[in-house]
Amino acid sequence: MKKALFSVMIFAAAAWAQVSEPIEVPYIPYEIKTGKGFDAVQGNCLTCHSFGYIINQGPQSHEFWNEKVVKMIKAFKAPITDTDAATITEYLFTYYGNGQEK
Amino acid sequence: MERRDFFKKSLTAAAALAAADTLNGATTRQPIDNRKISSIAFPEKRPLITYSDRPPLLESPRETFSKAITPNDEFFVRWHMPEIPTMIDPETYTIHINGLVKQELHISLNALKTDYEQVEITAVLQCGGNSRSAFQPTAGGIQWGNGAMGCAKWKGVRLRDILNRAGLNKEAAWIGFNGMDNAAYYETPNFVRELHLDELDDHVILAYEMNGEDLPYLNGYPVRLIIPGYYSDSWVKMISNITVTSEYQKLFFMDVAYRVPDNDCECETPDNKFKPTKPITNMNVKSVIGYPTSNTVVYSNSHVVVRGVAFDDGHGIRDVLVSTDGGKSWAPSLLDKDAGRYAFRAFRFSFKPNKIGRVTIMAKAINRLGNEQPFAQDIKWNHGGYKYNGIDSVTIEVI
Repeated sequence: MKKALFSVMIFAAAAWAQVSEPIEVPYIPYEIKTGKGFDAVQGNCLTCHSFGYIINQGPQSHEFWNEKVVKMIKAFKAPITDTDAATITEYLFTYYGNGQEK
Repeated sequence: MERRDFFKKSLTAAAALAAADTLNGATTRQPIDNRKISSIAFPEKRPLITYSDRPPLLESPRETFSKAITPNDEFFVRWHMPEIPTMIDPETYTIHINGLVKQELHISLNALKTDYEQVEITAVLQCGGNSRSAFQPTAGGIQWGNGAMGCAKWKGVRLRDILNRAGLNKEAAWIGFNGMDNAAYYETPNFVRELHLDELDDHVILAYEMNGEDLPYLNGYPVRLIIPGYYSDSWVKMISNITVTSEYQKLFFMDVAYRVPDNDCECETPDNKFKPTKPITNMNVKSVIGYPTSNTVVYSNSHVVVRGVAFDDGHGIRDVLVSTDGGKSWAPSLLDKDAGRYAFRAFRFSFKPNKIGRVTIMAKAINRLGNEQPFAQDIKWNHGGYKYNGIDSVTIEVI
């Protein structure tokens, strides 16, 4: 009886937090198109977000992708060089564009 | 090594995007439906539609919305920053209240649960960009279907009680909320949100419990802000700091993101974007069908019970009408019991299909103000793809 009570108490303590060890968010290998400019995408974008975040924006205009890259630099302070920024924009429009300038 | 093995076993979970039309004019259609559920489950979740792992972006499938309460392991997930604490010690976790207060507070989880009146509220949490994939041309942002929403029973403490305990100075006007999530770069602005004191009512709580359990990590363990009636962009997760100020602080996530045109239709065209803009704040009336899903096959003359959920920003649902002829005629559904004006109102509708072939079922919610959902194609475009609330539609096959 004493023993049973003890194990109930242990259980209660463990149950206080649903998770008592670090959680691990799984890595998802999103399939992204490789091609001209991909190295710059891999070198800059993955620091903050997955490829999923890119490809799940849907097909977008040249202006849209340019604005997104500018936002990463201006609003989110990503240290992307001017050369890389231009390369990334062209890559995104080539492989995830909608064919429209605006 | 272990992690690498896990990567190898992982299957690709990229969501297939339907080929988008590239129309010059702006149009709206039904959001993309029936996206593939990932084979990989995230912590404390069952496998969901998975747009990103960093930051985690998970959507509930349509089937989830045949229930008035969304189970914690089916509840959608949306973070902005890549660095989320993966371990929180509930013994030492502290929420700091500072700024223009008479006395700063440092509230432990235990104090939150014992030193204040405990309250519960059932409320819908919906991303402002839920259903964004309905907008054409493609609006900026994750192309969500209808599943960036859920409804839970939240338990916690009124924010007002905490602010009263701290005591507000005369000049106090704005409250800023910051969580434990961080950017990869130190210079990146934090995901800080602000509420004006006038926006604060007794329904705004700091919640530590969701449907009778600890909040899942991915929904903001151990404490998040609950603002019933508002879109979830202000429901800050893993809340660690509350700062009272006299002046509105200029913040990226307040001034640039989550805004719609400040005109009557809250609309604009891709070629002529409207200024000024306003925050998305209150949710509009909406319903989603949980069953049947598209391509469900039923026999002619069999009993079909359509089920779904409806909600608005707290006025409450008066009616949900259902059409089984593609929107030509409508009949009232049965509403389940009311779990509070901010909750999902479950509805059901029985019918016997007697025509062979494809049958389109639609649901249209009407709130107590008389506001009703428009047809998808009548919803006007906005650049962020926010606040879509078109009449939901599924097409089944009758054999």
